[in-house]
This record gives sequence, C-alpha cells and structure tokens, in this order.
Amino acid sequence: MRNLTNKIFLPALLLTCSGPLLAQYTFFTPKEAFAIEVSLPNSAEKRLPMYRNAITSLHVQGDLVLGGTTAKAGLSPYLFVASISKKSLLTTKDLQEVIPGQKGIATGFFKGTGNQLYAGTLAQVNNNQQPGHLLQINVGNEGTIEAKDLGVPVAGESIFTLLSNKQGTELFGISYPTGRFFTYNIATKKTQVFDEVAPKEKDLKDYHDFAVGPEVYLCKALIQDNAGIVYGSMAGNRMFAFDPAKKSFSFLENPLPAVWGREVLGQVEAWAKAPDGKLYGGNAGDGQLFVLDPTTKKIKNLGKPMMMPRLQALVFGRDGILYGLAGGALGYSHLFYYDEKGAGFVDLGNPEFTMVAPGIEQGIMWRGFQLSTLAASADGKYMVMGENEALSQLMIFPVGQ
Amino acid sequence: MNFHFTNPLCVATCWLAGLLLTTSNQAAHAQKSAISEKNVAFIEYPDFPEAHSTWGSIGYNAASNTVHIGVTNHRDNIGLFTYDPSQNAMKLNGFIRDMANLRSYQWQGKIHSKIVSAPDGSIYFTTDGGESREEYLMEHPQGYAGGFFMKWDSKTGLKNLGIGMQFESIKDIDIDPKTGMLYAITYPQAHFLVYNTEKNQLRDLGRLASSHVPRILFTDWWGNCYYVDWRQRLVKYEKDSDSLVFARESLPAFPGTPGSKIITGVTAFAKDEAKGVIYLITYGAKLIAFYPEKDGIGKVKDLGGVIETGHADAWGPYVPNLNIGKNGKLYYIIGGHDNYVVKDKTVLVEYDPASGKKTILQEYPITAVTEATGCDVRDKDGNIYFAARRNPKSEGDFTTPFMIKFNPEKEISK
Repeated sequence: MRNLTNKIFLPALLLTCSGPLLAQYTFFTPKEAFAIEVSLPNSAEKRLPMYRNAITSLHVQGDLVLGGTTAKAGLSPYLFVASISKKSLLTTKDLQEVIPGQKGIATGFFKGTGNQLYAGTLAQVNNNQQPGHLLQINVGNEGTIEAKDLGVPVAGESIFTLLSNKQGTELFGISYPTGRFFTYNIATKKTQVFDEVAPKEKDLKDYHDFAVGPEVYLCKALIQDNAGIVYGSMAGNRMFAFDPAKKSFSFLENPLPAVWGREVLGQVEAWAKAPDGKLYGGNAGDGQLFVLDPTTKKIKNLGKPMMMPRLQALVFGRDGILYGLAGGALGYSHLFYYDEKGAGFVDLGNPEFTMVAPGIEQGIMWRGFQLSTLAASADGKYMVMGENEALSQLMIFPVGQ
Repeated sequence: MNFHFTNPLCVATCWLAGLLLTTSNQAAHAQKSAISEKNVAFIEYPDFPEAHSTWGSIGYNAASNTVHIGVTNHRDNIGLFTYDPSQNAMKLNGFIRDMANLRSYQWQGKIHSKIVSAPDGSIYFTTDGGESREEYLMEHPQGYAGGFFMKWDSKTGLKNLGIGMQFESIKDIDIDPKTGMLYAITYPQAHFLVYNTEKNQLRDLGRLASSHVPRILFTDWWGNCYYVDWRQRLVKYEKDSDSLVFARESLPAFPGTPGSKIITGVTAFAKDEAKGVIYLITYGAKLIAFYPEKDGIGKVKDLGGVIETGHADAWGPYVPNLNIGKNGKLYYIIGGHDNYVVKDKTVLVEYDPASGKKTILQEYPITAVTEATGCDVRDKDGNIYFAARRNPKSEGDFTTPFMIKFNPEKEISK
C-alpha cells in the first residue's frame, strides 16, 4: 500500500494541483476537491448564521458530514449535517433548543455503540454561568439530527476534551477551566472525577506569569492505545497515562517536545493512531509532531511542518499517509502530510477549492485560511476540513488508494 | 519642495498631454468629444525619483481644498504628496517610514487604500505590504509586520495609529465623517475592521470574502460602510445597529461572468448625495446605481456595461476608478493590468445618467496612461483627479506615477 501511495498517488496528487506546490499564489487544488457553502447570512438557502458557525468538531458517517460549531460570545452554536455527494448542507440544529447557554462544541464527536455519537459542550461565560453538558447525537440516513442532553459530568465546569473507548461504552474527558479528568459510563450514567492531572498552584502561577489561560494549557485531545490506556498532556509539558481498568494514573518519563523556555506552552491538541498502534500527536505549543510508542512509553520528536505554533488536527487517510493542519492565527493554517518512509513533511499550504451553489453556479474559488478541524470518511476516501471563521465553510478533497 | 507648473518639466508634461490628446482624437471612436487638451493636465510627483506607482491612494480634502496622494517605489518607501489646486502646486510632505518612525522590520510597500478626510482637515489612510513576501514570510526577518492605520494633517504631521492585524495588509479604508469611526478591509484574509480612534478600540468583525479580496469600501452620507461578500452581495456595516447587514441579492452581473470576477466585487464608486445615489462599477464591468437607505440595504439599478464591447466579453473591461463631475456625469478610465478594451490603449469615458449615453472622450496609448485609480476625487472648482501611471517602454513593470487633473466643463488654468 505504501509503495502504491508513493509511486502513484503522491505524484498524481502533485499533477492534479493547479500549479507547482510551494509556489507563491498557487494552492493545493486537487482535481476533485470542492468546498461546501455552509455559512451565509440572509440567504434563501439553508445556511448557518454569522458568528455561530466556526467548525470545531467534525465526523464523517458514510456520505454525511456531521459538524459542531463554536459561537461568538452570547450566541449559541449549531450542529449541522452536509452531504458529500450532494455537495450541500442538509440539516442544521440550534443547540439552544437542546441545551441553553452553551457556546461551543469543540471536543469532536466520538462513537458509542450503534450509531450513537458523543460530544461535550463549552458553556457561555456570563453572569448566569452554566456548566457544559455531555451530548448524545444520532444522525439519520437522510441527515436528520437527534441530540439528547446527558447532563453535566463535572459540576460547574465545561467539557474541554472528550474521547470514547474502543467499545463505545465509556467516555473520558477533561473539564474546563480546572482541567480535571473524568470518566462517564454510558450505560450507568455514572461519572468519576479525578484531580491528578489538573494544574497545581505552582503551575497556575507559571501560567499567570506567561499570561496564558486554560485554552492554552489544558489537554485538548485524548487517545486510547490498543491496550486500552488513555493518554493526554498536563502542566509542565508532561504526559499522563490513565488505566481505565485500574482507575489509576501514571506519568511518562519523556516530556513533550519543546522549544527551550517555552515548555509552559506544551499542550497536545491532536492525536491519530497508526495501523501499527503507534500514537501520533501534535503539540500546540510549537507545532511539533511526535510519536508515542505505547509499548515503550517513549516519545520521539518528529519535527515541525512549518514555522508557526499549533498542530490542530491529525488524521490517517486510506493511503496510509498522516494528514494534518499546522499553524493558524495569527498566521494561517497549512495542510500538510507526513510520509515517514518517503518525503517526510510536505507542506501543502492553503488549500483552494471550487465552491458551487445556487447563485454561484459558475463556481468560485474558496481559499482556506483558518482551518481548524479535519476528519476522514470511514472508507478513508475523503478528507473533510472545517474552517474557524466568522463565516466558515467545509473543504473536502479525495485521497488516493 | 513644491512643484509649480511654471517650470520646464511642467511645460513638457502639458505638451505631452496635449500631444496625446490630439493624437488620440484622430484615432478615437466616432463620438465627438467636447473636451480638448485644455481640459486635461498630467501632473508629476517631485523629489521622488524612484517612484513607481500609485494605487487607490488618492483622496480629496474638502477642508483645505487639497488632493492627497500616496506614491510608492513599490518596495519599501512611500511618499505622501499634497496637491493644492489654487497654487497648481504638488508638494512632497515626507516619506511615511520617516514620519511614522517605522523600523526596518515594519517596512511598508505602498498605500493601497484611498485617502479619506475628516471635517477637521486631517486625512486618514492605511498601508499595505505590496509584495508577495508580505503573505509568505510572516515571522521571517524579511517578513511583513502588518499594515498600519495612519493620520496626517498639515499642522501636526503624521500620527501612527497602529497595526490593524498582524501580518495582514490593509487594502482600503473609509471614515464616518460624523463620528470619525474608521472602517478597513485586510489582505489576504479580508477581515472587516472597525476602529474607534478616540478610544483606540479596534474590532475585527471577521472574514467576509473568498480567495480574492475586493479592494473597495465606501460609505453613505449617514456614515454606514459597505463592502461585498463572495457572492457580490453588498454587506453594510450599519452604525446604528452596530451590525453587519447582508443584501439578499447579488449586484447585477452579465451572464457568464466568471467566478473570479464575482468574488472581487466592486472596483470603484462615486457619490451624488444630492440625488441620493452612489454609482458603482464591478469587476465584471457593470455600472450600477445604488440608492442607500439609512436602515437596511437600499435599491440597486443596473445601468449596463461600462462600455460597448462588441464581440468581446461584456464582463471583460477593467475599471479601477470612477469620478463624478459637477455636471452629474460620470467619468472613468478603462484599462489596466494588461486588460484593455482598445488594443494597447486606455480610454476616458463619459456616462450621462440622464440619457444613459456612454461616450469615449479620449484614448491614450498605454505608454502614456497605463492605468488609473481614484474614486470620487473632485475639488471645489469641479476638477476631478485620477492617480495614474505610465509604462513608457511598455515593458515589464517599469512604471512611473503621475496625476491626471481633468475638468469636463472648462479649461484648466495652467
């Protein structure tokens, strides 16, 4: 498979782009790539309204893309479903109808049993402070969205990070803003909260000195290895491992890769598990890609795809290649891939895809600047990217065999 | 140093302008033009030998009856000029990097924005990287820090009002003359900014455009500001509601207009407040009358193409300028960026809103007038102005900037 990828797909990918990669004013534009207009104010078409559409969670289920958004202060986010084959938005659901007082769905979506998906919410910050909730979502074949409030796992806290176990029976999460780890049994609805990975007083002083908040230092992504151990980051640029069977924590000897003096910025914000079971992670602090070998618990720094901090998303395609989104504001996100046995890091820069919709039938080019989410279809054929803008769209490109 | 029309260079310039007009008259279209070389003057920028170009960087200051122009070497040096019509004098006020105390890592490539004025006689503009390194080098030592808001007046000089967005150029600016609120659009991410200079409160209202950034903002007489989204729909910053209002429908476009033209939207505007209309030209070569309303989006009327193009695509012509005479007629120069409706010539067109008639008044070889910008720049005597440049050898990008002064109703006193 890897040879096929290296010999056929990657050259084909290069040829199908509009011009040479890495050149100024040329963009990553594979032939069959396209954008779906999901956000547009004052439209006769079904669209998400302004400032409530930053796409911060994505999941692909067959032909359907489920999105969860984050809204500006005082506004409520949405769930939405788009069709890849129809290249259009099918359904939207205002989260205010299910859980009032929420600001965002930024955990991603995680599979339970059957077709159930789970996510956590971030509450709006205001005088009438509400907590975040667990959310159970079911997407029907026609794109219908059913969302059910599962309640508040950590009293007074929002949900910053979430993960489901391999069996789809248990959820693991990080609360916001204190950063406590919790487990949630889907069948019994029982929650357990642990303080072991939450930042301590000395950590909080360091964060205050560096003028960074919980968005910067709390673990943004969790992953479970093939043995069932859950991994995440914590204060001091360290990594923890949680054993769900023993309900116990251990702490890895290796720190996250860091730039000297900037360890305070260590935060895992993306994970992807390779077919061989190795865990690939992205450190937001300086945008390093690293690999964690779950058998040895060793971390290897693989380097950076670009100059900027952030590494917001990582996904393996059906070609076996690891795709990711590096960078972000104050610059732009860059789509990249990492081919361990081939070219290593390849920066694809800003993607620019054609967007066709009623009223713009001739097609317009859409350039992705602030891409923040990336998901692969179950068959690995499509990569779906979501923007984090005032008016955010979906950008989709096919991946070779 | 002032530049007076009594010097030899001025005489040569006027002679050249006259020669071009005479020549172009002979080759012009069938319509008879009432104007002659005496209606036009080409005015040079003194004391800046490396000057390369002007962009949208021209504006009229009613308080002092002066025209202000930003002229650039299109790399890292920008001269700020003032033209005084009463004295026929063009003066270099100074260079932006010196007046604004910019360091080398804060280099600016040009003023791309128009120059807008406040009732107190101060002017405002924004700066732009102008080079592709602005977009790609970022945190590199040769990278671009970001475009600045700037204020200048003849008494106190230049005041640096700070950066809009880190790494982003600022393509255009406009002002609410009643409150002094500034509006701006950034490049390449097309973020719409609202800046209260008194409170130093800068707000980013987010990305509004697609892959290509529409270059023009404009305001109505209430101080609301307009832009376009990627569907070429008007987007209004409505000051009373402090919110963005999107038009339901797109501005008129010719059938078959490519998406690349649609996403670039409006290229020029001119206001006729007495008649309650703002004229617009789109990148798809439509001339449009827009009737703004204080609340909500107003009506739009399609006035047809900017010129009859025969067998050529109606959406093809490029018009980055628009002025309105005291006679209520519109004047614009078609051509630029290697896009000309008459081979290797730019053309000056008059449009009479009363009759709907469009007339080519003059044609200029692109070695004489390669391209011109300028929106709504008219002094109290009815002279209108374009910021132009010429490429004398018609090779590469070796242009020199100059200003066109034009009066459609009377001769220009030299």
